[in-house]
Amino acid sequence: MPVRLNLTRRTVMAGAAALGLLSAVPAKAQEDPIKIGLVAALSGQSAKSGEAITRGIMLALDKINGEGGVLGRQLELVSRDDESNPGKGLVAARELVQREGVAALIGGLDTPVSLAIVPFANEAKVPFIGPWAAGTPITKNGAEENYVFRVSAVDEIVDEAITEYLVTKYGAKRPGMILINNPWGESNEKGLLKALEARGMEHAGIEKFESNDVDVVPQLTRLKENGADGLFMVANVAPSAQVVKSLDKMGWDVPIASHWGPAGGRFTELAGASGEKVHFIQTFLFTDPEHPLFVKLQEMFPEIETLADVTPATGIANAYDSVLLLAAAIEAAGSTDGPAIREAMYGISGVEGVIKTYDTPFTPDNQDALGPNDYLFSQFVDGQIIPLAD
Amino acid sequence: MTLFVTALVTGLGLGAMYGLIALGFQITYSVCSRVNFAQGSMVMLGAVLGYVLTERAGLPVIVAYPLALVGCALMGMLVELLLVRPFAVRGSEAWLMATVAGGILLDNAVMFTFGNEPRSLPSPLVEQTWQIFGTGVYPQQLLIPLVAVGLAVSLHVLFRRTRQGRALLAVVQNPEAARLMGINTTAMISGSFALSAVLAGVAGLLIAPLLSVHSDMGTLFGIKAFAVAILGGMTSASGVMIAGFLYGLVEALVTTYLGSSYTYIVVFALLIAVLAVRPNGLFGTAALRKV
Amino acid sequence: MSESRLLDLSILALGVLALAFLGVVNGYMQFVFGLVAIWTILCTGLNVLFGLTGLVSLGQVGFFAVGAYAHAILSQAGVSFWLSLPAGALVAAAVGCVLAIPAVRMAGPFLAMVTIAFAFIVEHLAIEWRALTGGQNGLFGFDQPAIFGYVFTEADLIRLAIVLAALGLLAYRRLSVSGWGIAMAALRDQEVSAGSLGYDPFLTKLAAFAIAAGAAGLAGGLFASLMQFIAPSNFVLSQSILFLFAVILGGAGTVLGPLVGAAVAVLLPEFLAGLAEYRLLFFGALLVAVLLVAPRGIVGTIAAFLPRRAQPASAVTPEEALAFVSPETPEGLRVSGLGISFGGVKAVSGAAFEARPGEVTAIIGPNGAGKTTLLNMISGFYRPGEGRIETGGTDIAGWSMHATARQGIARTYQATRLFGSLSAEENVLAAFPRGRFSGVFTALGTAERRAMAQGLLQLVGYEGAAETLASDLPHVDRRLIEIARALAMRPRMLLLDEPAAGLMQGDKRAMSQVLRRLADAGIAVVLVEHDMELVMGISDRILAMDAGEPIAFDTPEAVRADARVIAAYLGEGTLSVPARSLAHEPGAMDTLIAKDLCAGYGAADVLQSVNLRVGKGELVALLGANGAGKSTFLRTVSGLMAPTSGHVILNDGYIGGLPPHQIVERGVVLVPEGRQVFPELSVAYNIELGAYRRKTRPDASELEAILQRFPRLRDRLHARAGLLSGGEQQMMAIARGLMASPKLLLLDEPSLGLSPGMVEELYAILAELRNDGITILLVDQMASLALAAADRGYILEQGRIVAAGSAQELLQDDALIAAYLGGGQERAEAAQ
Repeated sequence: MPVRLNLTRRTVMAGAAALGLLSAVPAKAQEDPIKIGLVAALSGQSAKSGEAITRGIMLALDKINGEGGVLGRQLELVSRDDESNPGKGLVAARELVQREGVAALIGGLDTPVSLAIVPFANEAKVPFIGPWAAGTPITKNGAEENYVFRVSAVDEIVDEAITEYLVTKYGAKRPGMILINNPWGESNEKGLLKALEARGMEHAGIEKFESNDVDVVPQLTRLKENGADGLFMVANVAPSAQVVKSLDKMGWDVPIASHWGPAGGRFTELAGASGEKVHFIQTFLFTDPEHPLFVKLQEMFPEIETLADVTPATGIANAYDSVLLLAAAIEAAGSTDGPAIREAMYGISGVEGVIKTYDTPFTPDNQDALGPNDYLFSQFVDGQIIPLAD
Repeated sequence: MTLFVTALVTGLGLGAMYGLIALGFQITYSVCSRVNFAQGSMVMLGAVLGYVLTERAGLPVIVAYPLALVGCALMGMLVELLLVRPFAVRGSEAWLMATVAGGILLDNAVMFTFGNEPRSLPSPLVEQTWQIFGTGVYPQQLLIPLVAVGLAVSLHVLFRRTRQGRALLAVVQNPEAARLMGINTTAMISGSFALSAVLAGVAGLLIAPLLSVHSDMGTLFGIKAFAVAILGGMTSASGVMIAGFLYGLVEALVTTYLGSSYTYIVVFALLIAVLAVRPNGLFGTAALRKV
Repeated sequence: MSESRLLDLSILALGVLALAFLGVVNGYMQFVFGLVAIWTILCTGLNVLFGLTGLVSLGQVGFFAVGAYAHAILSQAGVSFWLSLPAGALVAAAVGCVLAIPAVRMAGPFLAMVTIAFAFIVEHLAIEWRALTGGQNGLFGFDQPAIFGYVFTEADLIRLAIVLAALGLLAYRRLSVSGWGIAMAALRDQEVSAGSLGYDPFLTKLAAFAIAAGAAGLAGGLFASLMQFIAPSNFVLSQSILFLFAVILGGAGTVLGPLVGAAVAVLLPEFLAGLAEYRLLFFGALLVAVLLVAPRGIVGTIAAFLPRRAQPASAVTPEEALAFVSPETPEGLRVSGLGISFGGVKAVSGAAFEARPGEVTAIIGPNGAGKTTLLNMISGFYRPGEGRIETGGTDIAGWSMHATARQGIARTYQATRLFGSLSAEENVLAAFPRGRFSGVFTALGTAERRAMAQGLLQLVGYEGAAETLASDLPHVDRRLIEIARALAMRPRMLLLDEPAAGLMQGDKRAMSQVLRRLADAGIAVVLVEHDMELVMGISDRILAMDAGEPIAFDTPEAVRADARVIAAYLGEGTLSVPARSLAHEPGAMDTLIAKDLCAGYGAADVLQSVNLRVGKGELVALLGANGAGKSTFLRTVSGLMAPTSGHVILNDGYIGGLPPHQIVERGVVLVPEGRQVFPELSVAYNIELGAYRRKTRPDASELEAILQRFPRLRDRLHARAGLLSGGEQQMMAIARGLMASPKLLLLDEPSLGLSPGMVEELYAILAELRNDGITILLVDQMASLALAAADRGYILEQGRIVAAGSAQELLQDDALIAAYLGGGQERAEAAQ
């Protein structure tokens, strides 16, 4: 019996070793599909957002490949899970570039993951397009040859927008910040301070909290006692819900302007009715079930029944447009060579995306395709995100 | 003052829940010197089953929650049967890694079946708040310590008042003599894992309305509860409950007054310091060594 | 070629192969090779801690992080790679030492928790200490190392990592056979006897922690340089679990295990890359499967099928061995007023004797007299409550085991405590340094030492192979090896706890000769032994103890004639047992038949073809010296042990091999030796638990009937059983047994540790039970008393029945005296 077991184990190991050798042999160039690499959190708490990005890419690939592909070749998606872990994300990016030979990378849900990949992408000269992570330094990374592009919100601009919103709409004079204790929160802390400074305003305090805190009452109580008359909130959907619940408990009714965190899930289910009071920023929303992309989406993913089932529509739209822009650049470059694609990125124009039509979306000074004009404020009503009337 | 009361209420609620989960560690450890390191996943399983049975299957709470706990009990027995017993009979310590792996498996299996977005488990006790000393409190927050202490006390009574309960105590106090009484120790060990998982499941059902239900909600609770069980000395039920409250209070006070970024550093450093002075935990005693 | 040379060469070959391969694979595969090398370094260190020393750490990722950050921060501050890399490892090792100080006192889950807590603290410090660590965003960009102006490429760095990994494996290989390595393995297998060989458990564990932490720190530094980026999320707890998994998967305690484990742990996700989100599911399942199917890991499982290459060594002659163990400065031992209490109960008090060099001093006494406790105090295992232990003019009472051992006191154990995963020879080798570690990379087993180890094994009469693992050896051989191991320390004093137990008569004679020769060589031999023939034959002086107190210390002749000694052994002649009141003839129907029953622990059978019957209504006594197999017989009948062959028949049904709860259900109840009460439960609940398997619940009248039989229990009914006196506990244990309405009641040593008055009361109750027609099989070392109550008796010696008959016949039979005072074996051998 033990002998037999050993034999099978040996066979397995031999097989594994053989596989290892095979994969060690450099891939031969062939007229294969053009590979696009995705690095995103496909498991864990951010998995839902990773799923949205994947869906957006699939929709775009479906459209492009249906129209004959790029340079006469089909586009193919190769995904890797980064588990929201920058180290894993970096290794995954290396693997996609060096082993899979992808033409470009899409990805980075979490700012730290994107930041970890940025130096590698610049060094490897592979375009890296961010459909989600909003950290300012991702695109403003100071590299001489910057290969990092983004079709998403940018913290600094979002912070300016939500500050403007709180000041003009609610007349806030002394807003407080309640930020998740991670690099995303950190990035927005800088952006918000900058926005307040520009207006010569004071803040009622900067409070941090952890994503698994049951209670945010202590932090909020300090803000309240410091005379906060409005709140900036930066956190993912579940922790954002904890903030709203804690406000409820305190009986504190205060205007909240939020980054787009609440859009990442069923916010009002988690936060209760008061969740509707939170106003947050979005780059895109499905408001009409007849929207052609939504119809397409339902076709490809039958589990989506209503608009409420696509809570992070932003992720889908950003990813969809990212792929369209990338495809246009590859087509224009006439090759899958990284530097050529990068050069072509600056030249594309008139690309019709789902968020808008992109005319010269990228310049060497601004590698962000979306700006303040592309943001819209929205809120949850009956479990569905709807834009706020101006 | 308000801050202090808030910290107190939060600390007591969390502490009671840690104590409840830790009690599960204590029970199996007392019976067979082994624990289920997938205990955190049992917390999650209780909450997820509770959500699925009420919100998706539409069962009333009174039916759904007991069913969810039965599910936890079965899972606890399954863990013992597949991940603990095979190693126990060889005298191997690999059950530790095996139950850790079991937890990973369960979390991921739930993610693929239940879904990967957090859901909310409704409870009438989080719909309005009560004002206590100037701070708002959900009735649910007060329910947790009540249920936890109530359960711990009733377990204590049940262990002494029922035949099977005393048989379990007999296994704890003298396993060999228990076998000589005709007590099926294998079944008792299996039962202790079931009970341990049920306690975790109760904790999951209690905490879920205050947080949200998702597949990896239990991991941190499991680790903290293990710290509580260790702090309490692993063998004393009352010690573990007290350690739970202590841990919860310290955690809440540190979070309130120093900020939640320092919670782990302070709490775990304190834990190491306590263990350095009392290697068998606050309420544990060293067994007499024999050769 | 020796096994170690072969290992060294394979490590070198693998290293060269990896370096050569690096040239032909693409950049990503190079990177993966680098990761494997880094994991190998870390896992090799963890292998020292977990595989070699047996300590589970779930905090390795913390040391990995400390090393990575220290190296990264220093190198960003402009410190050269060649300084910052070792500095990172040193910082990690230092942190490891600090953590070890609380951690070494803990075991099992407590240790696991401390290491988990440590990992959390490091991770969160890295998050919060932004000024130093860059917070969540981590640190980027570290200068690659340079030599003489040549700046390393990534591939060069990976080459460096491979070289370091190979060096790490070589270092582990050498460490594992050095004094340090043997000390660690000894600590893992048997912490207690490692201490009694002079090894300081604290220092040994500290070293293991420091090595594991330092290796993790080195790996961390290389990781930072290879990734060019570190962040707290690289150092999460689950990473620690993977590290431990890699060691287990590869084979904990094997030299190449960490390499294989690291390769699988790093490469596997590469193969699973396409599965993306299902990866963790797959990983968990694989982990469980490996633990279940290949618990020794890949290398361990393969190694088990390879032939062991033994390097032959020629043993020195017994004379040379004897000359070796002869102490240069003989030293004796003087014990005075030594006492100790456990939980307020005096276990030993006022013990006093002198063991002179060149003499054999024996300690005798019935079970529970405190003999082993006395040895435990002398050897430093227990800290005495009072009294002095003097040797060479120093009072060593209260010294630790390893300090005592270094003072020249060696000991053996009643239940042998060999290092199970080491060979017979290695067990002996471990004792040579007397706890001094010597060089980290110098093998302990030099040619001279190996020759001497084999000579010592021959001296004590071990005839097996020197390379057999101790755990695979029969009981008798383990005793011999344990003595040889004690001798390798060149002790001035040798404490032996029942060295002859379980030996055949011929071996016993050889053993007594060896002991005599050792004493003649100048060692002060102290012996706890039940075999009176051996004791009387070789001892110069004998200390007799009873109930924790010395009752005689004199020459063998004087002790043998001492009335108190005889009374302590065979029972007070003054105690009386009521005779059978009814003149009925019991035993016409068989209740229990044991047929050719064999059973035992591990390699050798304790019971050898025992045939015995108990008739319905009979009280049968099973007698014999300690270690004869009486308790083993009762445990086998009651199902606590499974018979290796033969049958147990109860009322025409086979019950041999059934689990105990089914045997209880069929009506066989054992009242075990030492009462075995449930201390925290009340007396009433204890008694009630006796009826656990019965179909009918006990009612009040039944309890009342029991209380009438045991009136002493009435007042204590609601007291916790643990608070009862020994006699009361024994009554309660019997009452508990009776509640099962047994068809056969087995009593194991009911009079053990009871006062004479209590013994008499107990036997009056047994006589009553007998008169009421309850079938009883009684084991008691008070032979005369047991026979006075019994109808029939059997005498067991060396696991065989050597005499059987009516109680009257046996009382006259000299087999009884022989069984207790030795000399019965010839009869048994002649009879067969």
